[in-house]
Amino acid sequence: MTLSLVVLLPFLGAVAAPLFAQAGRTAIAIASSVPALIALMALFPHWKRLADGGVLVQTFEWMPSIGLSLSFRLDGLSLLFALLILVIGLLIILYARYYLKPHENVGKFYAMLLCFKGAMLGIVLSSNLLLMLVFWELTSLTSFLLISFWNHKKDARRGARMALAVTGGGGLALLAGILLIGRIVGSYELDDVLAAADLIQAHALYPFALTLVLLGAFTKSAQFPFHFWLPHAMQAPTPVSAYLHSATMVKAGIFLMARLYPALAGTEQWFYMVSFTGMATLLIGAYVALFKHDLKGLLAHSTVSHLGLITLLFGMGTKLAAVAALFHVINHATFKASLFMAAGIIDHETGTRDMRRINGLWQFMPHTATLAMVAAASMAGVPLLNGFLSKEMFFAESLALNLPGLWAYVPPLVATLAGIFAVAYSARFIHDVFFNGKPKDLPVYPPHEPPRYMKIPVEILVFACVMVGMFPAISIGPLLNIAASATLAGNVPDYQLAVMHGFNLPLLMSFLAFFGGLLMYSQRQRFFDFHARFKEIDEKAIFEKVALKMEDLAATFTHMLESGSLQRYALLFVLSAIAVAWGPISELGVFVGANGLSPIDVPTATGALVLMLCAVGTAAMHRTRFYALILLSVVGLLVALAFARFSAPDLAMTQLSVEVVTIVLLMMALYYMPSWTPIEASWSRRIRDIAIALVAGAGMTLITLAMLTQPFDSISSYFLEHSKKGGGGTNVVNVILVDFRGFDTLGEITVLAIAALGIYTLLKNVQLTPPPGDGHGHPWTRDAYPVMLRQIARPMLPLALMVSLYIFLRGHNLPGGGFIAGLITAVALLLQYIASGMQWTQARVSIRYHNVIGLGLLFAVVAGAGSYAFGFPFLTSTFGYITWPVVGKFEVASALIFDLGVYLTVIGATLLALVSLGNLSPHSAITHLKGGE
Amino acid sequence: MELAFALTIGTLTASGVYLLLRARTFPVIVGLTLLSYGVNLFLFSTGRLVTGGQPILGSTDNYSDPLPQALVLTAIVIGFAMTAFVVVLALRKQADHHDDHVDGRESSARLRLEDEEEDGR
Amino acid sequence: MNHWLTAPILIPLLGGIIQIFIGYAPISLRRTLALSTTVLLLVSTIGLLALASDGSYRVYTFGNWAPPFGIVLILDRLSALMLLMTAILAFFCHLFAVHKTDESSRQFHALFLFQLLGLNIAFLTGDLFNLFVAFEVLLIASYGLLMQGTGTKRTIPSLHYVVLNLAGSAVFLISVGMLYSVTGTLNMADLAVKVPQVSAEDLPLVKAGGLMLLVVFGLKAAILPLCFWLPKAYGAATAPVAALFAVMTKVGFYAIVRVFTLIFGADAGPLAHLGLDWLFPLALATLAMGVVGAIGSRSLRTLITWQVIISIGTLLAAVGLGTQEGTSAALFYLLNTTWIVAGLFLVVDLIAGQRGAAADKIVTAPPMYNRTLLSVLFMLGAVASVGLPPLSGFFAKLLILQAATPGPQLAWLWGGLIIGSFFTLIAYSRAGSIVFWRTVEGHVSQPERLTLPLTVAAGGLVGMAVVIVLLAGPISAYVDATAEQLFNTSEYLAILQAQVVVGGL
Repeated sequence: MTLSLVVLLPFLGAVAAPLFAQAGRTAIAIASSVPALIALMALFPHWKRLADGGVLVQTFEWMPSIGLSLSFRLDGLSLLFALLILVIGLLIILYARYYLKPHENVGKFYAMLLCFKGAMLGIVLSSNLLLMLVFWELTSLTSFLLISFWNHKKDARRGARMALAVTGGGGLALLAGILLIGRIVGSYELDDVLAAADLIQAHALYPFALTLVLLGAFTKSAQFPFHFWLPHAMQAPTPVSAYLHSATMVKAGIFLMARLYPALAGTEQWFYMVSFTGMATLLIGAYVALFKHDLKGLLAHSTVSHLGLITLLFGMGTKLAAVAALFHVINHATFKASLFMAAGIIDHETGTRDMRRINGLWQFMPHTATLAMVAAASMAGVPLLNGFLSKEMFFAESLALNLPGLWAYVPPLVATLAGIFAVAYSARFIHDVFFNGKPKDLPVYPPHEPPRYMKIPVEILVFACVMVGMFPAISIGPLLNIAASATLAGNVPDYQLAVMHGFNLPLLMSFLAFFGGLLMYSQRQRFFDFHARFKEIDEKAIFEKVALKMEDLAATFTHMLESGSLQRYALLFVLSAIAVAWGPISELGVFVGANGLSPIDVPTATGALVLMLCAVGTAAMHRTRFYALILLSVVGLLVALAFARFSAPDLAMTQLSVEVVTIVLLMMALYYMPSWTPIEASWSRRIRDIAIALVAGAGMTLITLAMLTQPFDSISSYFLEHSKKGGGGTNVVNVILVDFRGFDTLGEITVLAIAALGIYTLLKNVQLTPPPGDGHGHPWTRDAYPVMLRQIARPMLPLALMVSLYIFLRGHNLPGGGFIAGLITAVALLLQYIASGMQWTQARVSIRYHNVIGLGLLFAVVAGAGSYAFGFPFLTSTFGYITWPVVGKFEVASALIFDLGVYLTVIGATLLALVSLGNLSPHSAITHLKGGE
Repeated sequence: MELAFALTIGTLTASGVYLLLRARTFPVIVGLTLLSYGVNLFLFSTGRLVTGGQPILGSTDNYSDPLPQALVLTAIVIGFAMTAFVVVLALRKQADHHDDHVDGRESSARLRLEDEEEDGR
Repeated sequence: MNHWLTAPILIPLLGGIIQIFIGYAPISLRRTLALSTTVLLLVSTIGLLALASDGSYRVYTFGNWAPPFGIVLILDRLSALMLLMTAILAFFCHLFAVHKTDESSRQFHALFLFQLLGLNIAFLTGDLFNLFVAFEVLLIASYGLLMQGTGTKRTIPSLHYVVLNLAGSAVFLISVGMLYSVTGTLNMADLAVKVPQVSAEDLPLVKAGGLMLLVVFGLKAAILPLCFWLPKAYGAATAPVAALFAVMTKVGFYAIVRVFTLIFGADAGPLAHLGLDWLFPLALATLAMGVVGAIGSRSLRTLITWQVIISIGTLLAAVGLGTQEGTSAALFYLLNTTWIVAGLFLVVDLIAGQRGAAADKIVTAPPMYNRTLLSVLFMLGAVASVGLPPLSGFFAKLLILQAATPGPQLAWLWGGLIIGSFFTLIAYSRAGSIVFWRTVEGHVSQPERLTLPLTVAAGGLVGMAVVIVLLAGPISAYVDATAEQLFNTSEYLAILQAQVVVGGL
């Protein structure tokens, strides 16, 4: 419980803190420090147990299916880091109280700071690797928001994005690494993983796992070649730099290496990857730091180099090195955080961080200067300060490393060289800022000491530097000890923390570094000149350029494919269909099944031939659209005939009536459209399309041929059998439609209804002016409503209605039914519109077709739902016979009501669509000469 | 008989596909119509070809398969609805961009301009 | 015979019919009725989920005709999940629409409800041809919805969308025909029984039919190379419609999962795992395409539309593993991505409303009126979409990554997903930081103010990222059970023994 609480508290604080924003900075600062205080109190009682090498693990279930549990673990290592996070966090809160300006969004700042703190605690206290990863990425996100706190600054935004890209990306690599480890070990719980060292290191996937995990660690801890994000993260407010980018977040990678040290370390691969990365980072950071004119820039690069140092120590793989590494983690956190705070104060008081302008601050702020100088001295590794001790151990380890041949000299040399640079840039920090003449045109002049309380955090940290430096054994010994034992899985080497280990090689290296550094600084001008020869590379600019380039490339590539050309998309679709069907069809070949071919009679053959000719003709003549349309209608009629020929009377009738309406529709459409299609496609293009079309056609032919000649039996016998006694109708097709598969029909008429509504919306207040003539130059006839047509059309209406009623009623037993009847009625009414015009007809047929549609659907649904009342499922039909006076014995089926629904929907939908099409143009052929005569 | 039927379907499909790949709305619609004729005939024929066997009980002794006929009837109706819609959409296209190119190539410049205006709100 | 199975169909159908009648009634009345219909639907789907979570199949025989002769609805864990997911999505979209975009047309609510009708039929039906009808219902409704709103920028994308889908329907019918011509049945369970017994000479027909079916579903799901119609269509639709369409591609996904585990699953004899060898690589390619598109996006709207394609790639890649774990992971991811992407569409619309001429373009503009709230919503959505912790996307990705079994597939899947996440992370962070932070002085004349309902709608969907995390345990348990039920096809076949009602009351 305790541990989860420790992690949870800051997040709660983050929610609560902004509420205090109104009450002023002091209030919110106090409020924000509560979680840390409680956490410290909560951790304190466990000290005893940990001192005895005990471990505290608390686990809750979360997602067992993926091995993710809310399990936390407190041991020496996590305690060490937790303390760093909590204590320095408190100091930062106090510091930020004075650093931030009242008008700034303090609430947001503290909230995000607390979020970060929670995430960081989560990393170090997690006992489940997946859980750790969750917090790991959370720190990336929160740091993204903290770096971009001043998001009106371009550099802040870019720095933040870069940090997120690098660390977030590293996190993804880490994810893969952890998943691999999980696969190898079979669990993500730390205990299991640490116990399975041999298993892991023997496994074939170990190299991949290690590489991926290290990618995560290196990116987070700004190791070469991923170090570039850290200096640019310095755009953040200084408290953030001090907290995230020197004391805690950048140490997360280090922590990860320490955490998994027992499981992953000790192999060749580990040694080479980690130590050499560390060495490179150590040198590059130290070298660049010297030439930075920006105060924070110098500190940032020195941080990079110190992180490299720690990494190198872990890489060495000896136990003592690990101890030294942990020791340096503590020391670096203390002196670097204090230095950042000092830099922040200077920035705060002088208004600049440029060391070429800040000089001789000693006279103005002696107190701050003293603190900063002590801290800087510790950074340089001056005796009696903590920096010196861990650096001694580092030198010693670099010597102890027994590499083959000349390689043995590399680590000590690198170490010493880096030491020299470190002393040099520390010296510069001290001399340039506090002495070296007078300040040059400071934005704020004269600078003076900051508010009293702003210095307290610095004082505390510097005091720590001195204490540890002078009395290491008592001040830090115990903590370091349990941390080391936790890292090294119990077996800590014997080492003693002392100010002096007597005169030995490491001490000599220190002296070399010290005086070498001073010498180098005294001769700095030469080095500056030398360095000036190389062009300063701005990683941020490069990163931006790359990002932009990538964006453009992606955009062009996308546009190339997603060209917005329907022809392209349709082609892709047709080709995919052909591609997948190609294999099966080719193995089918020209296949004639067991039933063989039946003889063909002349009429059928002629019909087929004409049909094919007309189809091809439609395609061939599609430019002259009118002829294409005529041919199309012929095709439609022949299809109807085909249905009739092969014993499908209902289909024939349906096809016929649909054909009529469709052609009318297309006619009306063509009236508004160009009647010619221009030649646009090149010959090659057309040939390509023809080829594709032929392939598709051939495929369909082969499939049909094979299918038609294969014997098969279907479920249809059941329908034939039950149509009469179960469905009460002899027209099996109709019974299927309204009964067996009535639900399909319900869907079908819904589609019809929706289509009509859609058309209605599409054409709502759309105006189209038709071309003056028919495209051949002939004007439209003046006589839009020929008398002949009117004279025929009007008497036709009652007749047609009679017919449709008859068709409708007989549908259940003979070809017909609601749909066909509906279309006939619709066509009859349509004829009136065409013959006599909108006005005339609408005046006489005053129905709102929406309601007709609605009514139709309603009938269908009600007819279906009726069966609920009798405990039968939806659409269950019943029927009976009654004897009417004149008609005689007559059958009524509930399905008839359903069919009535179909009938009404069809009428409503068809007319709504066509009428709204008719209303399209104020003076269309259908509506002009308003109201006919 | 089967061969003729298969060839018919093939021809319809081929002509339909060719028109589907044209650049103007009208031919595309005609193409889709041809395609649907082909598809309907195909779906119908999955019950095999029977002559003189309309599935009206008592009218004959060997009935053709009624189920595909019912399916095709549904397909025809839906196809009709869809055709109507796409025809009207094509008209809307004509009204909005004053041409019948499926991609509005000719008016693409004006189109972009209109988009700007709209995003401008 | 549990009549509740018809509730998700009859509720929107009746609601839609009412809307047709009251098309000219005052808008407040239409809104109230429409929204309450959606709420009713939501309630019913919750009930059905509770019903289905016992792991048994529920059959509803329309017209009281026993399968395979009549049309049946089948309620299992999967269909219940899809129904609830859609209902929740629909509720928020509808809420958003009711307060922003439904004035544009009197038919909006009718079309919206019919859209839901089609979706629900598709998720419930156990009949292949009825699935076709369902597709047509939801398509024709979507055509109408797509054209909602003023202006002319929607016409061309809609035309493309409609024409392609008409071609798709044609191929769908051909495939159904091919399957029927051999098996002589349409009921999915019956097909699953018949397909393994197909004779050697009939095999090519069924195979071709099945694969063409995959192409059709692929078109709906927008899988490479059939995905290019999507960005412009979704980009042009009004926000609530685009948000609702987040589920449209998922219908294709559902159909693939349903048909290719049941009919062409492991027990399909010579046709077992038909199409899997196509699915996995194409899915990864789709994912890659989506990422490239996202990086190249010049507007937030476009970015989200490509996120839709990324999602479908991820989903089908997981399903393409052909394992129970993969499908389970995909279903978990499905919930996450559907809701989040939809939420982002709404959030982006709110953002666009406050940036004047800049709208949703990724360019400098005056600061937004509700910058903080909108940026938080956007960041939630972005983090969840990229798949970073601590939001749902991360856990979904985790499940998918873990589902891969060692081998080349694992390398491809991990590489694709992780590298993809990295680049989408860059895309989102760029877009977000420019839109929210790179601002110029000045202010937009009358920005669209946020109202509570709009915020609730957008925030509710994005907030699902948190809800899913909180319920991660139960949800993953449910999807595991769903995948298990899905892969145990023999149980499904038992529906063929469903009894019809005798005598009624």
